[in-house]
Amino acid sequence: MTAIIQTSSGLKSYLDGKGEFEVIAGRTVFDTLVDLNIKPELIALVVVAGEQKSKDYVIQENDIVKVMAVIGGG
Amino acid sequence: MNGYGGKILRVNLTTGKITKEQTPIDVARDFIGGRGFGAYFLYKEVPRGADPLGPDNKLIISSGPMSGLMIPGAGKCDFTTKSPLTGGYASASMGGHFTAEIKYAGLDSIILEGISSKPVFLFIDNDRVELRDASEYWGKGTIAAEKQFKEKFGEEFQVAVIGPGGENVVSYACINHDFGRQAGRGGVGAVMGVKKVKAIVIHGSKSIPVADVNAYRVAGKALYKACKDASFLQEWIRYGTTVVTSWCDEVGALPTRNFSAGSFEDGKGLYAPVMREKIVITDKGCFGCPSPCGKYSRSKKYGSYVEGPEYETIGLLGSNLGISDIEAVAQANLLADDAGIDTISAGNAIGWAMECYEKGILTSKDTDGYDLHFGNIEATFDLIGKIARKEGFGALLADGVKKASQKIGKGTDKFAIHVKGMEQSAYATHNATAMLLAYMTCDVGAHHNRSWAITYDLQVGRDLVVPEKVARVIWLQNFRPMFDVLGGCRLQWVELGIERDLYIAALDAITGIHRDWNDYEMVGDRIWNLTRMFWAREIDGFDRRYDIPSPRFYEEAPESGATKGQITKIEDVHRLLDMYYEQRGWSKNGLPTSERLASLNLSELVA
Repeated sequence: MTAIIQTSSGLKSYLDGKGEFEVIAGRTVFDTLVDLNIKPELIALVVVAGEQKSKDYVIQENDIVKVMAVIGGG
Repeated sequence: MNGYGGKILRVNLTTGKITKEQTPIDVARDFIGGRGFGAYFLYKEVPRGADPLGPDNKLIISSGPMSGLMIPGAGKCDFTTKSPLTGGYASASMGGHFTAEIKYAGLDSIILEGISSKPVFLFIDNDRVELRDASEYWGKGTIAAEKQFKEKFGEEFQVAVIGPGGENVVSYACINHDFGRQAGRGGVGAVMGVKKVKAIVIHGSKSIPVADVNAYRVAGKALYKACKDASFLQEWIRYGTTVVTSWCDEVGALPTRNFSAGSFEDGKGLYAPVMREKIVITDKGCFGCPSPCGKYSRSKKYGSYVEGPEYETIGLLGSNLGISDIEAVAQANLLADDAGIDTISAGNAIGWAMECYEKGILTSKDTDGYDLHFGNIEATFDLIGKIARKEGFGALLADGVKKASQKIGKGTDKFAIHVKGMEQSAYATHNATAMLLAYMTCDVGAHHNRSWAITYDLQVGRDLVVPEKVARVIWLQNFRPMFDVLGGCRLQWVELGIERDLYIAALDAITGIHRDWNDYEMVGDRIWNLTRMFWAREIDGFDRRYDIPSPRFYEEAPESGATKGQITKIEDVHRLLDMYYEQRGWSKNGLPTSERLASLNLSELVA
């Protein structure tokens, strides 16, 4: 029961350069981010299979969950 | 010079004299181009105390060594002048295709001097440069005028044009291009308008010399490949800058009802997915852009088309006015673009007026009969036109919130949201000290694009006041605006995460001069200090008081939303400035020391 969390490149600068994490399915994106020591409030966008999801989305098996932090603004 | 058009074009509008001179090698070495050229020519050539709306002020339009080449985002053009809004330095960056044509016409900068006695437009077709009668275009909106120029001269000509806002010298009039791109801030359009220049119409077909063509091709391809392979490219294209709307609402940064809060209870109607579904019909990019952030939209309700709205406009003409209908924001965007006024300053001015009305300081007798409660969409539409025409109540708002609040008095300056006279862009900073400092110390006034530090606030602790935050703001201020110097867009770097060194390889190949990022940051630092000296030269008694933000962020905590009850203490505002000045090597009053200027090779220029 695993899934993948992919982080945007800007966020990687806060994560020692790491951009991809294998995680346990069945938990929310929010809780999973906390587990990974990523502050959920940094995340502007959660996308699974091309669809935008909320941070309350429960991660499913084999999901690739893309989480995007906006680092640069306009 | 490799990477340069090679010439500076001067157009004296008073005499009609048009001249060209070689782009100075030493200026290219020390200031590189774009915003750097603007800062240099402004400081050197505009005399101390010049009236921003007088003949001594100049409008300096510059490309950079990236402009017009096959580098992702190489479509940025800088407009520099002495600001009629602030009385200090103004530099506005515009995307699109205009900057490429400057280079293809063999130019690096166009400097408009003096004042024409009648409406004209500047026509440039390679070496053919003429001032032509603009009477048939004068009075028209930017969209109709640009369309007319294109129909007359052909699609290959690029047009930078002002609207009624610029013609009527609204202090925050902008310059428009490509039916939806603006040099938006600081009133650059007012300076063009007072000079009676309706437009610049330009086309070129010259080659840009490149030092090492093969290395340039390799480096350019590597940059485009990196963009194509970026993991979030599709998400960025889908939403562009509007990706932050819901996030700003969530973290308390979305300006709401004249920045009285940072979260909008009806904000969901403005979020990116809603906008994409309801109004966006296609994506639109600038010259050479692989990640087009522009959204072209259609409002069925209003029967209109507009490029946008992007995040800043959603924040200022949406939530900041209590408006939650994305179609209404798009329509307001269109009206402001066509009138040629900056949506950020206009949204602030109308928001300030609405708060005055709700507090009973202004009544319908003062507002030409309008009910200016927050959320009044029709009044917003009408006020945009009145501002552009300087008609009735609109004339008060056309000078910006600082001057308007000085005229009205009654404590309205407490909620005039600006720094140095420039209205704040769309990030509420009640509790985000790095972003607040970025606004306080920005070189043009309260603008976000020099240093966008709000994510850093959230990462390290939003209310912390520590040297590391100050250092981050300074690094961003030195580095991010380098893209405006180089004539390119920063968004591929900051949002797609393109490695900085890929740009170094391309720039080295283009110019034939090796510089690393430390060298570029040094140039950024030099420009930052020079523009600070421009403020000090032009504003009597310029000191730290000009770096203090609106009291809204240190006196009044929001009563709702994510930042409810949160505020930055005034003591912390001063602590931030103390640390900032020390790290910049400035005096306690915020002025560069002679030693600091000498270390940046600026002593002679500012003497």
